[in-house]
Amino acid sequence: MTHFNWLLDGSIVGVYLLATMVAGLMVRKYVGKVEQFLVAGREMDVYLGIASLAATEFGIVTCMYTAQNGYEKGFAGATPGILMALAMAGVGLTGFVIKPLRDSGVITIPELLQQKFGKRIRWAAGVVIVLGGLLNMGVFLRTGGQFLVLVAGLDVRYLEIMMTALLVGVAVYTILGGMLSVLVTDFLQFVVMSAGLILVTILILVNVGWEKLVTTVETNYGAGGFNPFVNPTMGWQYVLFNLMLNTAAVLTWQTTIARVLAAKDTRTGRKVYTRTSFFFVCRFLIPGVWGIAALATLGPVANTLEAMPTYLSTAVPAGLMGILIAAMLAADMSTDSSYMLTWCSVIYNDIMAPFRKKPWSEKRGLFWNRTIIALIGIFLLLYGLWYPLKGDLWTYLGVTGTIYLASISVLLIACCYWRRANSWGAGASIIVSALIPVSYLVMEQLPATAELAKSIGPYYSGIATYVLSAAAMVVGSLLKPQTLSREEAA
Amino acid sequence: MPHHWFWWLLTAACVVWYSTITVYVAIKGASDIKHMLARLDATNKREAGEKP
Repeated sequence: MTHFNWLLDGSIVGVYLLATMVAGLMVRKYVGKVEQFLVAGREMDVYLGIASLAATEFGIVTCMYTAQNGYEKGFAGATPGILMALAMAGVGLTGFVIKPLRDSGVITIPELLQQKFGKRIRWAAGVVIVLGGLLNMGVFLRTGGQFLVLVAGLDVRYLEIMMTALLVGVAVYTILGGMLSVLVTDFLQFVVMSAGLILVTILILVNVGWEKLVTTVETNYGAGGFNPFVNPTMGWQYVLFNLMLNTAAVLTWQTTIARVLAAKDTRTGRKVYTRTSFFFVCRFLIPGVWGIAALATLGPVANTLEAMPTYLSTAVPAGLMGILIAAMLAADMSTDSSYMLTWCSVIYNDIMAPFRKKPWSEKRGLFWNRTIIALIGIFLLLYGLWYPLKGDLWTYLGVTGTIYLASISVLLIACCYWRRANSWGAGASIIVSALIPVSYLVMEQLPATAELAKSIGPYYSGIATYVLSAAAMVVGSLLKPQTLSREEAA
Repeated sequence: MPHHWFWWLLTAACVVWYSTITVYVAIKGASDIKHMLARLDATNKREAGEKP
Protein backbone atom coordinates (compact mmCIF):
# COMPACT_ATOMS: atom_id res chain seq x y z
CA MET A 1 0.00 0.00 0.00
CA THR A 2 1.54 3.32 -1.06
CA HIS A 3 1.88 6.25 1.35
CA PHE A 4 0.70 8.77 -1.29
CA ASN A 5 -1.86 11.13 0.27
CA TRP A 6 -4.03 12.88 -2.30
CA LEU A 7 -4.69 15.97 -0.18
CA LEU A 8 -1.18 16.61 1.16
CA ASP A 9 1.03 15.12 -1.56
CA GLY A 10 -1.38 16.00 -4.36
CA SER A 11 -1.31 19.67 -3.27
CA ILE A 12 2.51 19.74 -3.30
CA VAL A 13 2.55 18.28 -6.83
CA GLY A 14 -0.22 20.66 -7.98
CA VAL A 15 1.61 23.76 -6.71
CA TYR A 16 4.83 22.63 -8.41
CA LEU A 17 3.07 22.03 -11.76
CA LEU A 18 1.31 25.40 -11.62
CA ALA A 19 4.54 27.28 -10.77
CA THR A 20 6.39 25.57 -13.64
CA MET A 21 3.73 26.37 -16.22
CA VAL A 22 3.51 30.02 -15.12
CA ALA A 23 7.32 30.43 -15.19
CA GLY A 24 7.59 28.72 -18.58
CA LEU A 25 4.90 30.87 -20.17
CA MET A 26 6.00 34.19 -18.64
CA VAL A 27 9.30 34.37 -20.55
CA ARG A 28 7.80 33.80 -24.01
CA LYS A 29 7.60 37.58 -24.60
CA TYR A 30 11.42 37.76 -24.78
CA VAL A 31 11.54 35.48 -27.85
CA GLY A 32 11.56 37.39 -31.12
CA LYS A 33 14.30 35.63 -33.13
CA VAL A 34 15.33 32.09 -33.99
CA GLU A 35 18.62 32.50 -32.09
CA GLN A 36 16.72 33.51 -28.95
CA PHE A 37 14.41 30.53 -29.42
CA LEU A 38 17.15 27.92 -29.96
CA VAL A 39 20.09 29.16 -27.84
CA ALA A 40 18.47 31.83 -25.59
CA GLY A 41 20.30 34.58 -27.49
CA ARG A 42 23.55 33.10 -26.06
CA GLU A 43 22.93 34.88 -22.76
CA MET A 44 23.13 31.93 -20.35
CA ASP A 45 25.44 32.36 -17.34
CA VAL A 46 27.26 29.73 -15.22
CA TYR A 47 24.77 28.91 -12.44
CA LEU A 48 21.75 28.82 -14.69
CA GLY A 49 23.81 26.54 -16.96
CA ILE A 50 24.64 24.19 -14.07
CA ALA A 51 20.94 23.98 -13.06
CA SER A 52 19.83 23.42 -16.64
CA LEU A 53 22.47 20.80 -17.50
CA ALA A 54 21.87 18.83 -14.29
CA ALA A 55 18.07 18.95 -14.65
CA THR A 56 18.18 17.97 -18.33
CA GLU A 57 20.48 15.00 -17.85
CA PHE A 58 18.45 13.52 -14.99
CA GLY A 59 15.04 12.17 -15.98
CA ILE A 60 12.89 9.45 -14.42
CA VAL A 61 14.35 7.04 -16.98
CA THR A 62 17.86 7.86 -15.63
CA CYS A 63 16.69 7.27 -12.06
CA MET A 64 15.14 3.94 -13.08
CA TYR A 65 18.16 2.43 -14.86
CA THR A 66 20.76 3.76 -12.40
CA ALA A 67 18.70 2.31 -9.51
CA GLN A 68 18.50 -0.95 -11.48
CA ASN A 69 22.31 -0.83 -11.78
CA GLY A 70 22.56 -0.47 -7.98
CA TYR A 71 20.12 -3.33 -7.45
CA GLU A 72 21.89 -5.67 -9.92
CA LYS A 73 25.56 -4.66 -9.49
CA GLY A 74 25.81 -3.03 -6.06
CA PHE A 75 28.03 0.05 -5.62
CA ALA A 76 30.05 -0.96 -8.69
CA GLY A 77 26.95 -0.05 -10.72
CA ALA A 78 27.85 3.63 -10.17
CA THR A 79 31.05 3.21 -12.28
CA PRO A 80 29.58 4.90 -15.42
CA GLY A 81 28.78 7.99 -13.32
CA ILE A 82 32.37 8.26 -12.06
CA LEU A 83 33.70 7.85 -15.62
CA MET A 84 31.31 10.49 -16.96
CA ALA A 85 32.29 12.93 -14.18
CA LEU A 86 35.99 12.42 -15.02
CA ALA A 87 35.32 12.93 -18.74
CA MET A 88 33.26 16.07 -18.14
CA ALA A 89 35.79 17.60 -15.73
CA GLY A 90 38.63 16.82 -18.19
CA VAL A 91 36.76 18.38 -21.13
CA GLY A 92 35.73 21.42 -19.08
CA LEU A 93 39.26 22.04 -17.77
CA THR A 94 41.03 21.59 -21.11
CA GLY A 95 38.30 22.93 -23.42
CA PHE A 96 38.87 19.84 -25.62
CA VAL A 97 36.45 20.09 -28.59
CA ILE A 98 33.98 22.37 -26.75
CA LYS A 99 36.27 25.41 -27.07
CA PRO A 100 36.54 25.35 -30.88
CA LEU A 101 32.84 24.38 -31.05
CA ARG A 102 31.64 27.37 -28.99
CA ASP A 103 34.20 29.73 -30.60
CA SER A 104 32.80 28.88 -34.04
CA GLY A 105 29.40 30.44 -33.11
CA VAL A 106 27.34 27.56 -34.55
CA ILE A 107 23.90 26.51 -33.27
CA THR A 108 24.36 22.74 -33.77
CA ILE A 109 27.23 20.24 -34.18
CA PRO A 110 26.45 19.40 -37.87
CA GLU A 111 26.74 23.11 -38.71
CA LEU A 112 30.39 22.99 -37.62
CA LEU A 113 30.94 19.68 -39.46
CA GLN A 114 29.87 21.36 -42.73
CA GLN A 115 32.84 23.73 -42.50
CA LYS A 116 35.21 20.75 -42.77
CA PHE A 117 33.29 17.99 -44.54
CA GLY A 118 30.73 19.75 -46.74
CA LYS A 119 26.93 20.01 -46.94
CA ARG A 120 26.19 16.30 -47.49
CA ILE A 121 27.98 15.26 -44.31
CA ARG A 122 26.18 18.01 -42.40
CA TRP A 123 22.86 16.62 -43.59
CA ALA A 124 23.83 12.97 -42.90
CA ALA A 125 25.14 13.88 -39.43
CA GLY A 126 21.86 15.70 -38.72
CA VAL A 127 19.85 12.62 -39.71
CA VAL A 128 22.01 10.31 -37.54
CA ILE A 129 21.75 12.67 -34.54
CA VAL A 130 17.98 13.05 -34.82
CA LEU A 131 17.37 9.33 -35.42
CA GLY A 132 19.56 8.23 -32.51
CA GLY A 133 18.20 10.98 -30.26
CA LEU A 134 14.51 10.50 -30.99
CA LEU A 135 14.65 6.70 -30.78
CA ASN A 136 16.52 7.08 -27.49
CA MET A 137 13.95 9.53 -26.17
CA GLY A 138 11.05 7.37 -27.37
CA VAL A 139 11.06 5.29 -24.16
CA PHE A 140 11.22 8.18 -21.68
CA LEU A 141 7.50 8.80 -21.37
CA ARG A 142 6.38 5.24 -20.68
CA THR A 143 9.20 4.57 -18.20
CA GLY A 144 8.35 7.80 -16.38
CA GLY A 145 4.71 6.78 -16.23
CA GLN A 146 5.64 3.33 -14.85
CA PHE A 147 7.56 4.97 -11.99
CA LEU A 148 4.71 7.31 -11.08
CA VAL A 149 2.10 4.55 -11.20
CA LEU A 150 4.18 2.31 -8.91
CA VAL A 151 5.22 4.98 -6.40
CA ALA A 152 1.89 6.81 -6.11
CA GLY A 153 -0.23 3.67 -6.47
CA LEU A 154 -2.19 5.17 -9.36
CA ASP A 155 -4.53 3.14 -11.51
CA VAL A 156 -2.50 1.84 -14.48
CA ARG A 157 -5.44 2.63 -16.80
CA TYR A 158 -4.74 6.34 -16.33
CA LEU A 159 -1.02 6.09 -17.21
CA GLU A 160 -1.45 7.09 -20.86
CA ILE A 161 -3.84 9.97 -20.08
CA MET A 162 -1.64 11.31 -17.27
CA MET A 163 1.58 11.24 -19.30
CA THR A 164 -0.17 12.72 -22.34
CA ALA A 165 -1.37 15.66 -20.23
CA LEU A 166 2.15 16.11 -18.82
CA LEU A 167 3.72 16.09 -22.30
CA VAL A 168 1.16 18.56 -23.64
CA GLY A 169 1.97 20.94 -20.75
CA VAL A 170 5.72 20.68 -21.41
CA ALA A 171 5.20 21.08 -25.18
CA VAL A 172 3.10 24.25 -24.70
CA TYR A 173 5.77 26.21 -22.83
CA THR A 174 8.61 24.82 -24.99
CA ILE A 175 6.77 25.78 -28.20
CA LEU A 176 6.06 29.29 -26.96
CA GLY A 177 9.31 30.13 -25.15
CA GLY A 178 11.94 27.81 -26.69
CA MET A 179 15.30 27.68 -24.89
CA LEU A 180 14.35 30.61 -22.63
CA SER A 181 11.38 28.69 -21.20
CA VAL A 182 13.54 25.56 -21.00
CA LEU A 183 16.25 27.37 -18.99
CA VAL A 184 13.84 29.09 -16.58
CA THR A 185 11.78 25.95 -15.93
CA ASP A 186 14.98 23.85 -15.71
CA PHE A 187 16.13 26.13 -12.89
CA LEU A 188 12.90 25.63 -10.95
CA GLN A 189 12.94 21.91 -11.73
CA PHE A 190 16.58 21.58 -10.59
CA VAL A 191 15.72 23.00 -7.17
CA VAL A 192 12.62 20.79 -6.71
CA MET A 193 14.35 17.68 -8.12
CA SER A 194 17.45 18.14 -5.95
CA ALA A 195 15.40 18.69 -2.77
CA GLY A 196 13.53 15.43 -3.41
CA LEU A 197 16.67 13.42 -4.24
CA ILE A 198 18.59 14.65 -1.18
CA LEU A 199 15.74 14.20 1.31
CA VAL A 200 14.89 10.66 0.14
CA THR A 201 18.57 9.65 0.20
CA ILE A 202 19.00 10.94 3.77
CA LEU A 203 15.82 9.10 4.79
CA ILE A 204 17.16 5.84 3.31
CA LEU A 205 20.61 6.22 4.89
CA VAL A 206 18.99 6.85 8.29
CA ASN A 207 16.30 4.15 8.07
CA VAL A 208 18.20 1.34 6.32
CA GLY A 209 21.69 2.28 7.53
CA TRP A 210 25.09 2.13 5.86
CA GLU A 211 26.09 -1.21 7.41
CA LYS A 212 22.96 -2.95 6.09
CA LEU A 213 23.52 -1.53 2.59
CA VAL A 214 27.13 -2.76 2.57
CA THR A 215 26.22 -6.18 4.01
CA THR A 216 23.47 -6.62 1.38
CA VAL A 217 25.94 -5.93 -1.44
CA GLU A 218 28.59 -8.22 0.12
CA THR A 219 26.08 -11.06 0.56
CA ASN A 220 24.62 -10.81 -2.95
CA TYR A 221 27.62 -9.82 -5.09
CA GLY A 222 30.79 -10.27 -2.97
CA ALA A 223 33.81 -8.18 -4.02
CA GLY A 224 32.21 -7.63 -7.45
CA GLY A 225 29.60 -5.40 -5.81
CA PHE A 226 32.33 -2.88 -4.97
CA ASN A 227 34.89 -3.36 -7.75
CA PRO A 228 33.74 -3.40 -11.41
CA PHE A 229 36.94 -5.15 -12.56
CA VAL A 230 36.14 -8.31 -10.54
CA ASN A 231 32.37 -8.25 -11.13
CA PRO A 232 31.49 -11.18 -13.48
CA THR A 233 28.86 -9.09 -15.34
CA MET A 234 31.20 -6.10 -15.81
CA GLY A 235 35.02 -6.47 -16.13
CA TRP A 236 37.55 -4.25 -17.95
CA GLN A 237 35.47 -4.33 -21.14
CA TYR A 238 32.49 -2.77 -19.29
CA VAL A 239 34.73 -0.02 -17.86
CA LEU A 240 36.41 0.70 -21.22
CA PHE A 241 33.09 0.72 -23.13
CA ASN A 242 31.54 3.08 -20.59
CA LEU A 243 34.61 5.34 -20.69
CA MET A 244 34.24 5.61 -24.49
CA LEU A 245 30.45 6.00 -24.34
CA ASN A 246 30.50 8.67 -21.64
CA THR A 247 33.38 10.62 -23.17
CA ALA A 248 31.54 10.63 -26.51
CA ALA A 249 28.34 11.75 -24.74
CA VAL A 250 30.15 14.61 -23.00
CA LEU A 251 31.59 15.76 -26.34
CA THR A 252 28.62 15.32 -28.64
CA TRP A 253 25.27 14.60 -26.93
CA GLN A 254 23.32 17.49 -28.40
CA THR A 255 21.32 18.26 -25.23
CA THR A 256 24.57 18.56 -23.24
CA ILE A 257 26.36 20.54 -25.94
CA ALA A 258 23.34 22.87 -26.24
CA ARG A 259 24.35 24.34 -22.84
CA VAL A 260 27.82 25.16 -24.15
CA LEU A 261 26.31 26.73 -27.28
CA ALA A 262 23.80 28.77 -25.25
CA ALA A 263 26.51 30.03 -22.85
CA LYS A 264 27.37 33.71 -23.10
CA ASP A 265 31.01 32.86 -23.96
CA THR A 266 33.41 29.90 -24.21
CA ARG A 267 34.77 30.43 -20.68
CA THR A 268 31.24 30.21 -19.24
CA GLY A 269 30.55 27.01 -21.21
CA ARG A 270 33.73 25.39 -19.85
CA LYS A 271 32.87 26.46 -16.28
CA VAL A 272 29.41 24.90 -16.63
CA TYR A 273 31.08 21.60 -17.58
CA THR A 274 33.70 21.66 -14.83
CA ARG A 275 31.33 22.65 -12.05
CA THR A 276 28.56 20.22 -13.06
CA SER A 277 30.93 17.23 -13.45
CA PHE A 278 30.53 15.84 -9.90
CA PHE A 279 26.75 15.86 -10.37
CA PHE A 280 27.24 12.87 -12.69
CA VAL A 281 28.61 10.81 -9.78
CA CYS A 282 25.47 11.75 -7.79
CA ARG A 283 23.34 10.94 -10.84
CA PHE A 284 24.44 7.28 -10.63
CA LEU A 285 25.27 6.82 -6.95
CA ILE A 286 22.14 8.37 -5.36
CA PRO A 287 19.58 6.25 -7.26
CA GLY A 288 22.10 3.37 -6.97
CA VAL A 289 21.81 3.59 -3.16
CA TRP A 290 18.00 3.58 -3.57
CA GLY A 291 18.35 0.39 -5.66
CA ILE A 292 20.58 -1.27 -3.03
CA ALA A 293 18.07 -0.28 -0.32
CA ALA A 294 15.34 -1.95 -2.42
CA LEU A 295 17.47 -5.13 -2.58
CA ALA A 296 18.08 -4.99 1.19
CA THR A 297 14.37 -4.54 1.94
CA LEU A 298 12.52 -6.49 -0.77
CA GLY A 299 15.07 -9.22 -1.57
CA PRO A 300 15.01 -10.84 -5.03
CA VAL A 301 12.22 -9.59 -7.34
CA ALA A 302 11.11 -10.66 -10.83
CA ASN A 303 11.39 -7.22 -12.45
CA THR A 304 14.53 -5.43 -11.22
CA LEU A 305 13.57 -2.19 -13.02
CA GLU A 306 10.49 -1.91 -10.80
CA ALA A 307 12.25 -2.80 -7.52
CA MET A 308 13.21 0.79 -6.56
CA PRO A 309 9.79 2.45 -7.16
CA THR A 310 8.04 -0.48 -5.42
CA TYR A 311 10.33 -0.02 -2.41
CA LEU A 312 9.87 3.78 -2.32
CA SER A 313 6.06 3.48 -2.43
CA THR A 314 6.11 2.12 1.14
CA ALA A 315 9.39 3.56 2.49
CA VAL A 316 8.64 7.25 1.87
CA PRO A 317 6.07 8.84 4.24
CA ALA A 318 3.20 11.15 3.22
CA GLY A 319 4.40 14.72 2.72
CA LEU A 320 7.84 13.60 1.57
CA MET A 321 6.02 11.47 -1.01
CA GLY A 322 4.61 14.67 -2.59
CA ILE A 323 8.12 16.17 -2.73
CA LEU A 324 9.47 12.94 -4.28
CA ILE A 325 6.78 12.86 -6.98
CA ALA A 326 7.18 16.59 -7.69
CA ALA A 327 10.96 15.96 -7.91
CA MET A 328 10.51 13.13 -10.39
CA LEU A 329 7.98 15.11 -12.45
CA ALA A 330 10.50 17.97 -12.46
CA ALA A 331 13.24 15.59 -13.61
CA ASP A 332 11.07 14.25 -16.42
CA MET A 333 9.67 17.60 -17.58
CA SER A 334 13.10 19.25 -17.76
CA THR A 335 14.45 16.33 -19.78
CA ASP A 336 11.46 16.24 -22.16
CA SER A 337 11.49 19.98 -22.86
CA SER A 338 15.25 20.12 -23.49
CA TYR A 339 15.25 17.03 -25.68
CA MET A 340 12.31 18.25 -27.80
CA LEU A 341 13.99 21.61 -28.34
CA THR A 342 17.40 20.09 -29.07
CA TRP A 343 16.26 17.65 -31.74
CA CYS A 344 14.11 20.42 -33.20
CA SER A 345 17.22 22.61 -33.52
CA VAL A 346 19.02 19.92 -35.54
CA ILE A 347 16.00 19.24 -37.78
CA TYR A 348 15.53 22.97 -38.49
CA ASN A 349 19.17 24.00 -38.68
CA ASP A 350 20.69 21.00 -40.50
CA ILE A 351 18.16 18.59 -42.02
CA MET A 352 15.98 21.37 -43.45
CA ALA A 353 19.00 23.47 -44.49
CA PRO A 354 19.06 22.24 -48.14
CA PHE A 355 15.40 23.31 -48.50
CA ARG A 356 16.13 26.93 -47.58
CA LYS A 357 17.47 28.38 -50.80
CA LYS A 358 17.21 31.92 -49.40
CA PRO A 359 17.43 32.91 -45.71
CA TRP A 360 14.03 32.71 -44.02
CA SER A 361 12.53 35.60 -42.06
CA GLU A 362 12.69 35.35 -38.26
CA LYS A 363 8.89 34.97 -38.19
CA ARG A 364 8.92 32.06 -40.63
CA GLY A 365 11.86 30.45 -38.81
CA LEU A 366 10.06 30.64 -35.47
CA PHE A 367 6.90 29.19 -37.03
CA TRP A 368 8.81 26.18 -38.36
CA ASN A 369 10.67 25.60 -35.10
CA ARG A 370 7.41 25.61 -33.17
CA THR A 371 5.78 23.26 -35.69
CA ILE A 372 8.71 20.82 -35.46
CA ILE A 373 8.47 20.70 -31.64
CA ALA A 374 4.74 19.98 -31.90
CA LEU A 375 5.47 17.15 -34.38
CA ILE A 376 8.17 15.70 -32.09
CA GLY A 377 5.60 15.76 -29.26
CA ILE A 378 3.13 13.81 -31.42
CA PHE A 379 5.87 11.31 -32.35
CA LEU A 380 6.72 10.77 -28.68
CA LEU A 381 3.09 10.11 -27.84
CA LEU A 382 2.62 7.63 -30.67
CA TYR A 383 5.98 5.86 -30.38
CA GLY A 384 6.81 6.12 -26.71
CA LEU A 385 3.49 5.92 -24.96
CA TRP A 386 0.90 4.18 -27.06
CA TYR A 387 3.40 1.69 -28.58
CA PRO A 388 4.82 -0.56 -25.81
CA LEU A 389 8.58 -1.25 -26.00
CA LYS A 390 9.68 -4.88 -26.15
CA GLY A 391 13.05 -5.93 -24.71
CA ASP A 392 15.67 -4.61 -22.31
CA LEU A 393 15.76 -0.86 -21.58
CA TRP A 394 19.52 -0.39 -21.13
CA THR A 395 20.38 -2.34 -24.31
CA TYR A 396 17.89 -0.22 -26.21
CA LEU A 397 19.34 3.05 -24.85
CA GLY A 398 22.93 1.87 -25.40
CA VAL A 399 22.37 0.80 -29.01
CA THR A 400 20.40 3.86 -30.10
CA GLY A 401 22.93 6.09 -28.36
CA THR A 402 26.01 4.38 -29.83
CA ILE A 403 24.74 4.68 -33.42
CA TYR A 404 24.98 8.44 -32.97
CA LEU A 405 27.75 8.90 -30.39
CA ALA A 406 30.51 6.85 -32.03
CA SER A 407 30.47 8.53 -35.44
CA ILE A 408 29.67 12.09 -34.33
CA SER A 409 32.41 12.09 -31.67
CA VAL A 410 34.95 10.84 -34.23
CA LEU A 411 33.79 13.43 -36.79
CA LEU A 412 33.90 16.25 -34.27
CA ILE A 413 37.38 15.42 -32.94
CA ALA A 414 38.71 15.02 -36.50
CA CYS A 415 37.00 18.25 -37.55
CA CYS A 416 38.66 20.21 -34.74
CA TYR A 417 42.12 18.62 -34.62
CA TRP A 418 43.03 16.67 -37.82
CA ARG A 419 43.81 18.74 -40.88
CA ARG A 420 43.83 15.75 -43.23
CA ALA A 421 40.28 14.62 -42.27
CA ASN A 422 37.80 14.88 -45.15
CA SER A 423 34.31 13.87 -46.34
CA TRP A 424 35.31 10.32 -47.41
CA GLY A 425 36.53 9.57 -43.89
CA ALA A 426 33.47 11.22 -42.37
CA GLY A 427 31.06 9.22 -44.55
CA ALA A 428 32.88 5.94 -43.82
CA SER A 429 32.82 6.67 -40.09
CA ILE A 430 29.05 7.32 -40.10
CA ILE A 431 28.36 4.08 -42.01
CA VAL A 432 30.60 1.90 -39.81
CA SER A 433 29.22 3.26 -36.54
CA ALA A 434 25.66 2.57 -37.67
CA LEU A 435 26.39 -0.87 -39.15
CA ILE A 436 28.07 -2.51 -36.13
CA PRO A 437 25.38 -1.86 -33.46
CA VAL A 438 22.54 -2.66 -35.88
CA SER A 439 24.30 -5.90 -37.01
CA TYR A 440 24.80 -6.86 -33.38
CA LEU A 441 21.08 -6.39 -32.69
CA VAL A 442 20.12 -8.44 -35.75
CA MET A 443 22.59 -11.21 -34.77
CA GLU A 444 21.03 -11.30 -31.31
CA GLN A 445 17.58 -11.90 -32.85
CA LEU A 446 18.54 -14.58 -35.43
CA PRO A 447 18.67 -18.13 -33.99
CA ALA A 448 21.67 -19.02 -36.19
CA THR A 449 23.83 -16.17 -34.84
CA ALA A 450 22.34 -15.60 -31.36
CA GLU A 451 25.05 -17.68 -29.64
CA LEU A 452 27.83 -15.83 -31.47
CA ALA A 453 26.30 -12.47 -30.49
CA LYS A 454 26.05 -13.65 -26.89
CA SER A 455 29.73 -14.72 -26.85
CA ILE A 456 30.79 -11.30 -28.26
CA GLY A 457 28.57 -9.39 -25.81
CA PRO A 458 27.39 -5.74 -25.95
CA TYR A 459 30.60 -4.29 -24.48
CA TYR A 460 33.06 -5.75 -27.03
CA SER A 461 30.59 -4.82 -29.78
CA GLY A 462 30.42 -1.26 -28.39
CA ILE A 463 34.23 -0.94 -28.12
CA ALA A 464 34.58 -2.24 -31.69
CA THR A 465 32.11 0.43 -32.88
CA TYR A 466 34.22 3.27 -31.47
CA VAL A 467 37.57 1.83 -32.60
CA LEU A 468 36.41 0.90 -36.13
CA SER A 469 34.55 4.19 -36.57
CA ALA A 470 37.81 6.03 -35.85
CA ALA A 471 39.72 3.65 -38.14
CA ALA A 472 37.17 4.31 -40.92
CA MET A 473 37.76 8.04 -40.55
CA VAL A 474 41.54 7.58 -40.89
CA VAL A 475 41.40 5.12 -43.81
CA GLY A 476 38.67 7.01 -45.70
CA SER A 477 40.47 10.34 -45.31
CA LEU A 478 43.82 8.92 -46.44
CA LEU A 479 42.26 7.23 -49.48
CA LYS A 480 40.74 10.46 -50.82
CA PRO A 481 43.10 12.35 -53.19
CA GLN A 482 44.18 15.58 -51.51
CA THR A 483 43.54 17.67 -54.65
CA LEU A 484 39.88 16.62 -54.53
CA SER A 485 39.66 17.69 -50.89
CA ARG A 486 41.03 21.16 -51.73
CA GLU A 487 38.57 21.55 -54.62
CA GLU A 488 35.68 20.52 -52.38
CA ALA A 489 36.76 22.89 -49.63
CA ALA A 490 36.89 25.72 -52.16
CA MET B 1 36.47 4.69 9.12
CA PRO B 2 33.44 2.60 7.99
CA HIS B 3 33.77 -0.60 6.00
CA HIS B 4 34.37 0.04 2.26
CA TRP B 5 35.60 3.58 2.94
CA PHE B 6 35.82 4.53 -0.78
CA TRP B 7 32.08 4.11 -1.35
CA TRP B 8 31.26 5.59 2.07
CA LEU B 9 33.32 8.70 1.28
CA LEU B 10 31.83 9.00 -2.22
CA THR B 11 28.26 8.66 -0.90
CA ALA B 12 28.91 11.20 1.85
CA ALA B 13 30.54 13.56 -0.69
CA CYS B 14 27.46 13.24 -2.94
CA VAL B 15 25.04 14.15 -0.15
CA VAL B 16 27.16 17.07 1.16
CA TRP B 17 28.19 18.44 -2.28
CA TYR B 18 24.70 18.09 -3.76
CA SER B 19 23.02 19.80 -0.77
CA THR B 20 25.51 22.68 -0.89
CA ILE B 21 25.39 23.17 -4.67
CA THR B 22 21.56 23.10 -4.65
CA VAL B 23 21.35 26.02 -2.21
CA TYR B 24 24.16 27.92 -3.95
CA VAL B 25 22.75 27.42 -7.46
CA ALA B 26 19.22 28.29 -6.25
CA ILE B 27 20.48 31.71 -5.12
CA LYS B 28 22.97 32.48 -7.91
CA GLY B 29 20.80 30.94 -10.66
CA ALA B 30 17.88 33.25 -9.82
CA SER B 31 20.25 36.19 -10.24
CA ASP B 32 21.46 34.75 -13.58
CA ILE B 33 17.84 34.57 -14.85
CA LYS B 34 17.17 38.18 -13.81
CA HIS B 35 20.26 39.46 -15.64
CA MET B 36 19.66 37.26 -18.70
CA LEU B 37 16.10 38.57 -19.14
CA ALA B 38 17.27 42.16 -18.62
CA ARG B 39 19.94 41.78 -21.34
CA LEU B 40 17.45 40.18 -23.75
CA ASP B 41 14.92 42.93 -23.06
CA ALA B 42 17.55 45.60 -23.74
CA THR B 43 18.61 43.86 -26.98
CA ASN B 44 15.00 43.56 -28.20
CA LYS B 45 14.27 47.23 -27.40
CA ARG B 46 17.48 48.39 -29.12
CA GLU B 47 16.71 46.36 -32.25
CA ALA B 48 13.09 47.58 -32.30
CA GLY B 49 14.41 51.17 -32.09
CA GLU B 50 16.82 50.61 -34.99
CA LYS B 51 14.04 49.46 -37.33
CA PRO B 52 12.79 52.21 -39.67
